Amino acid sequence: MAAIKEKFEIPGKMRTWSLALIAIGLLLTIIGFITKGLSSEEHERAVFWGTLLYNSLYFMMICNACMFFICATTLAMGGWDATFRRVPEAISTLVPIFGTIAGLLMIFIVLSDKGYIYQWLDSKEVAHSKMIQGKSGFLNKPFFIIWTLLTIGLWSVLGARMRRLSAETDNGQLSYEQGKSFVWRNTVTAAMFIVWFALTTGSVTPWFWMMSIDAEWYSTMYSWYTFASTFVAGMSLITLWVIYLKNKGYLELTNQEHLHDLGKFVFAFSIFWTYLWFAQYMLIWYANIPEETIYFKHRVEGAYRGIFFFNLIVNFVCPILILMKRSVKRNYTLMTFMAVLIVFGHWIDFYQMVMGSISEQHVTLLSSGWLDFGVAALFIGLMILIVGRSLASRPLVAKYHPFLKESIIHHT
Amino acid sequence: MSLKYESQLREPLVDGDKNYHQVTVDICTPIEVKPSKLWYVGFYISVALLLFGVYSVYREVVYGTGQWNLNKTVGWGWDITNFVWWVGIGHAGTLISAILLLFRQGWRTGVNRAAEAMTIFAVMCAGQFPIFHMGRVWMGFFVMPYPNTRGPVWPNFDSPLMWDVFAISTYFTVSLLFWYSGLLPDFATVRDRAKTKLRKLLYGIASFGWTGSTKHWQRHESLSLVLAGLATPLVLSVHTIVSFDFATSVIPGWHTTIFPPYFVAGAIFSGFAMTQSLLIVVRKVLHLEDYITIGHIEAMNKVIVLTGSIVGCAYLTELFMAFYSQNKYEAYAFFYSRGNLFSPYGWSYWGMMACNVLSPQVFWFRKLRRNVTLTFFMSIIVNTGMWFERFVIIVTSIYRDYLPSSWTVYYSPSIWEVGFYLGTFGLFFTCFFLFAKYFPVIATAEIKAILKTSGENYKDRMTPIEKEEPAEFVHQFAH
Repeated sequence: MAAIKEKFEIPGKMRTWSLALIAIGLLLTIIGFITKGLSSEEHERAVFWGTLLYNSLYFMMICNACMFFICATTLAMGGWDATFRRVPEAISTLVPIFGTIAGLLMIFIVLSDKGYIYQWLDSKEVAHSKMIQGKSGFLNKPFFIIWTLLTIGLWSVLGARMRRLSAETDNGQLSYEQGKSFVWRNTVTAAMFIVWFALTTGSVTPWFWMMSIDAEWYSTMYSWYTFASTFVAGMSLITLWVIYLKNKGYLELTNQEHLHDLGKFVFAFSIFWTYLWFAQYMLIWYANIPEETIYFKHRVEGAYRGIFFFNLIVNFVCPILILMKRSVKRNYTLMTFMAVLIVFGHWIDFYQMVMGSISEQHVTLLSSGWLDFGVAALFIGLMILIVGRSLASRPLVAKYHPFLKESIIHHT
Repeated sequence: MSLKYESQLREPLVDGDKNYHQVTVDICTPIEVKPSKLWYVGFYISVALLLFGVYSVYREVVYGTGQWNLNKTVGWGWDITNFVWWVGIGHAGTLISAILLLFRQGWRTGVNRAAEAMTIFAVMCAGQFPIFHMGRVWMGFFVMPYPNTRGPVWPNFDSPLMWDVFAISTYFTVSLLFWYSGLLPDFATVRDRAKTKLRKLLYGIASFGWTGSTKHWQRHESLSLVLAGLATPLVLSVHTIVSFDFATSVIPGWHTTIFPPYFVAGAIFSGFAMTQSLLIVVRKVLHLEDYITIGHIEAMNKVIVLTGSIVGCAYLTELFMAFYSQNKYEAYAFFYSRGNLFSPYGWSYWGMMACNVLSPQVFWFRKLRRNVTLTFFMSIIVNTGMWFERFVIIVTSIYRDYLPSSWTVYYSPSIWEVGFYLGTFGLFFTCFFLFAKYFPVIATAEIKAILKTSGENYKDRMTPIEKEEPAEFVHQFAH
């Protein structure tokens, strides 16, 4: 009998690509800093810091969504993902790293009073607006910084604990009692993660990090919408890595059946995202209250009109038409295409959520897209490098996971 | 090598030493014997309630909605509260049958049949309220959009109340089809076991001539999947549209974008609570503890704590936004009409919070999740809380409108409003008692499909597989 391939060797090409992407990304970011970040024009500075902000938030949150996936399946006693569980685990090792970048960036923005990013930091604006003054109990620097640190800190700590628990399944067969205790301890940690996730991604954190850019505007749906956007992108990211490893000859226990189920997740949560999108948009449009419609005014009728519809086409029309079919979800090439499309699509979604508020009149993606793609390249390069290393540092398969055998014979 | 493997760490879904025949006997026997005295008592009480409801509705139809205590500002009172409450309850069945089918949750097989039946009866109850709220119920057919000789007069397609008509009728149709198509093989089983001619004839008709051929099963399976696919968006759409009845308006406390998903979560929450209330009684009375196990009850309690917490998260989000929006009307709705315990309806808001958000948190503890008495008690608490929720949303938002001169006396329902509500309980339980007597309350065929992986007596046979090294397992599996 052939042994299960457990050791991932980082291919030379992968290292070259990641380093190249990091180099290009870093270069473009530095150029951006010099030309825009140090510019005398406020708008240019806003574009630079805004671009860094939405990229770091997006990439951090989609990596954290992978840990959310692990915890959610753990709580539901899911077994089907056991053969490729190490993949979302490896992606989630990025949370502390991207989290440090995003956290430092936001704290820097807040401490240096960049009112062109967060409106509530601009003392002139605040002096004019009774509304923003009234919010100061929430929108203030200490609370923002403490909550940001707590959010990212606990995501990282609880995620690391889940990964440490998973390492227990490398060493040898678990007895019935050991298995029970393993499942129990996983359940407890996963539950803690999910509760914290609900309090952060599901409520307070997106209000701080993104919604407060338009300090006067509000929508109760905002956080759940952000969650849906990052979760579907996170599932696509897992799919991409699984397919990559399959193509390199690893993960032989993962097959079309698992791919099919990943595809179902991507499909279902694309529709779920659209549902939340529609509920938020339709209710604001229907009630037509100026305080609320102001958010969509320039997005639908102004400069962002193209992005607005593009967002819907990529993230709704494409998945529903293409992923509906069973054969597509079982096809490695098409799933790769769709996963890339959706990771890109929700990046665009984050772009319009953040930049649509910072640079209302100009779609910077069209005028200075090199910066957007440059910063994204930096994050993608880092992701390839670090996920590759995490995968190589541990066995690729959680060999003695109690549900591994269920996952091996899994069929949809 | 057999594909029938499931980890021993999973709790069995069927307890006891069962084989296929035993399953049939256990589930079909209650249909074949005379019902107990308790059944008759329950059934007659239900019918009595139903008759009281019929009389209450009769008064409303003859004398008009003046029979209810609706007033100048509270134009929606118990009627719409009860409507939303019943529709919400009608969510668990389809969630269990469709979404849990797609998520391959094996435990659904023990509870899906009864939950689906409950769904259908709950939607039937819900439908009564908007229909009789019309006042001139004989004009009810005006909601149907067809070219007519009345002008033509078309219904207002911009109105969410109109969308409700379509959403709920679609939901009812699909749920009914789903439930009934699942019943076909089980009806055939009852038919084949029938001892009297009449029984054979009736169950024969009900089973549409099911023979159990491979072809039948094949079509049955594809139909289930197609209906599950159709029903999944419907689980979300119905309560989404019900939430639009409120959220599309500009009434403080109603217009908030989180309403659709939070209504859906609340609906599932109350639906599972009602399923618990019913099944805890059913399993005891019909001796089905082996099929509706403590594990099933625990799984449903997990759904309850999940959805209850989602709902709690939404309540707090709304409360926070009432502050954050700095909108004084929202602040009045949330901090005075609701949040202030000593305002006229403050008690209902805090009652809702206690029942829906705080009390379900007991289910974080495994011991308490597996406690049947507590679960039964909690299921009643949750449904009381969910009734409060709808009452809070409706009445506290409208009893003081923008024009203080319209503010009227305290709204409390008339006896006929209460009678109407009790009547729907009568309808619901009458239907459910008949269902429990004449229908297989557990999906026999589906239980058989999971018996050999999840039955208690089959679990021991997994031991050799559990002991195998993964590589060895893969090797054997491949050959």
